Parts: sequence; C-alpha cells; structure tokens
Amino acid sequence: MNPAFGYLYDDFLSDRRFERDLGVLETELSRRGIQGQVGKLAMFRSAREMIVDMACAGVKNIVFVGNDKTLEKMMWFLPDVDVTIGYLPLAEPSQIGNLLAIPMGLGAVDILAARFIESFDVGKLDDRYFFTEVVVPSTTAALEIEGQYRVTPTRGGAIAIRNLGSISGKSAVSADGQDGWLEAVIQTPTEDGYRLFGSSPIAETHIRLKYGQLISKEPMDVFMDGHAVNGFVFRLSIVPHKLKIITGRRGGLLAEKEKV
Amino acid sequence: MFNSPKGSGYDSSSGQGATTIIARGVKVEGEFTSQSDVLIEGSVHGTFSTAGMLTVGTEAKIKADVNAGSALVSGTIEGNVIVGKHLEVKSTAKISGDVSAETITIESGAILSGRMSIGSKAVSAVESEAKVSGRRERGSTAAVLSES
Repeated sequence: MNPAFGYLYDDFLSDRRFERDLGVLETELSRRGIQGQVGKLAMFRSAREMIVDMACAGVKNIVFVGNDKTLEKMMWFLPDVDVTIGYLPLAEPSQIGNLLAIPMGLGAVDILAARFIESFDVGKLDDRYFFTEVVVPSTTAALEIEGQYRVTPTRGGAIAIRNLGSISGKSAVSADGQDGWLEAVIQTPTEDGYRLFGSSPIAETHIRLKYGQLISKEPMDVFMDGHAVNGFVFRLSIVPHKLKIITGRRGGLLAEKEKV
Repeated sequence: MFNSPKGSGYDSSSGQGATTIIARGVKVEGEFTSQSDVLIEGSVHGTFSTAGMLTVGTEAKIKADVNAGSALVSGTIEGNVIVGKHLEVKSTAKISGDVSAETITIESGAILSGRMSIGSKAVSAVESEAKVSGRRERGSTAAVLSES
C-alpha cells in the first residue's frame, strides 16, 4: 500500500456491473505500486469529511473513481484541501477526463502512475468554487464586468462563464483553465435567423474577465458545475492556480513534475 | 440539485480564442477597455478603448468615443474616433464625429461627418487634446459633486 495515495469510489460503483472493472483496476494499481486507502462515497456519508480525514492521515494524492458527476460533487470545497487531485473515469459522462486528457478505464492508470501535475484556476460564484463553468440559460440578466461596463443580451439569451470549459454538450469545449481569466460566452438568437430543424442560429459574444457580477431583475437559475442555485445577484471571480490535478496533458506551460 | 441545463437555449459546443466579440443582440454600456482585438456586431454606449485591432461590423452601432490600435469600420459610429495606426472605412460605414489616424483608407459610399486628421503627429495631438478635455471634464464633475 502506498500511503501517498487515497481513492474515493463513487456510490454508483457499488453496482455489480462495475465489480469486474474495479477488480482489474485495483490489480493494475497494485502492480504499479500506487494502490492506497479506499473510501466509498454514500448518501449519508460526508465526502468532505472523508477527504479531510485522508489528508490528515498523510494522503497527498486523492483519486476520484467514477465519472464527471463524482468530481462535480466535490468541486465546491475541494480547492481548499491541500491535496493533489487524480481522476479515474470508469463511466460516462467523462468530459472532464477529455479536457484533462485522461482516458476512461485502465488507460487512466498510466496517467496516474506518470503523476504529471498541473495547477489550474478555479472560478468562484459568490463564496463557492466552480471548476468547469457557470451557466444561466434563457435569461435577460446582465453581466457587469470588472466594475467598468455592463453587457446585456437585449432579446434574451444564455450566459456561460467558463473556467476549464464546457462539458454539458455532446463534446467538451475547452477554455484556458490556467490563464487567470474567466471567459464569458453570451449566446443570443439572431434577429433575421432562419429556422432549420427547429433551431434558430445563434450569435456568440466572447469576453474575458477577472471578476464581475450577474445581475437580474427576476430571480434566475444558475448552474455551476451542473448544480443549480437561484438568486438575483451573483459575484464572479477567479482564483489562479488553486487546484493541483494529475493530467495527461504533457507540455502544459504551468506543469510541474513531482516525484512521490 | 439538477443536472446541466440541456435543452435550455445554451449550446455548449462552441469555443473561441482570445479575441473579444460583441455579437448581435448584445448591448454594452459603460467604459469598455481591452488589450486584445475586438469585433463588434452589437451595440456599444459609453466609451471604447482597445490597444488591438477593432472591427466594427455592418450591423454594429456605437455611440461612444472610440480609441483603437487599428480599425476596420463597416458599421455606425457616433463619436470621435482615434486610431493609432491604420483606419479602414468600408462603403457601408457611417461615422459622425472627428476622425484621426496615422493612415486612412476610405471606400466609396462611406459617410463621414466631422473633422479628419491624418498622420502620426495628428494622432498624438488629438490624443493629448482628448486627455486634457477628459481631465477638464472630470475636474468640472468633481467641482459639481463637491458643490452639491
């Protein structure tokens, strides 16, 4: 057992369908000498407590085993825990895996074993962290940028604030999660747009920002890393290089190679 | 908790580089400043400044004093325009305000109403004049505020 590694299995992996995959995975981790303490997430078990306990016990690398939802559940507090994050996607969706160049299944063990670490920015919506993006669908809310100017979709539209990128579509779209900037994307329907297969063409506004505010006269639903919150005003900001993640993206500018 | 907002009018499949884009159907109000290239197809009210290349699309409507590194204008600008290097004015452009640039190309059909200054000396003279008048304006605003 390698004391520097800890693994957190998502709840859904207790399904018998994953028994064989987990067995193969554990054998491979053992063969590579990076097997470690295992925790299993469950409905009435605090993931935060489990992670903090592992960190206090000397675990330096906590690896999440599951899918994107597993990581998304942790992101609101994870940047405050002093550990390096690993990701072993065993099921779809695994778009975050795509953005971090981590393949699904056994291939991810190679990435873990190589332990190539990159530091990433994290976004903040009020006091909660987000890693991928914040989305306000179908809104007339305004985005105030750095106290300087205000951007409003005049006929309504969708507003997304991206850090690492977008993972809610069929394929992941990357933003630069290491540049110290958030990217605002505002999608508006075009006035003279023709309809094709029921969808009208959209125009896209792109603006980079360090901080800002989402402001709406009506209460708005905001989805951060897939989780919904509701309100009239939300503060946005970015915390540079807050999260260390083991990735498969060799050659990243801010990457640092560390040995266990 | 909910899942990602699929079917909610947000298409996550798009991506873009470092250029700032203000698309149609979007209004910008306030003091816009940027270091990168900017493409405007929507509307801008207030002041506008970029160190990079400004492209004003045919549908764009700008009611602002504009300051840019270089510019290509096909839409409407109501305000003074200062361009550090080259300004290209297309046939569909309408500019109501004073224009200064190091070099200018104007296509037949473009509408310009205002004074025009060409050459690097002209640009620096207009820029320093704009700074002085800006300081005067801020000074008078401060005076009004302190009086009130």
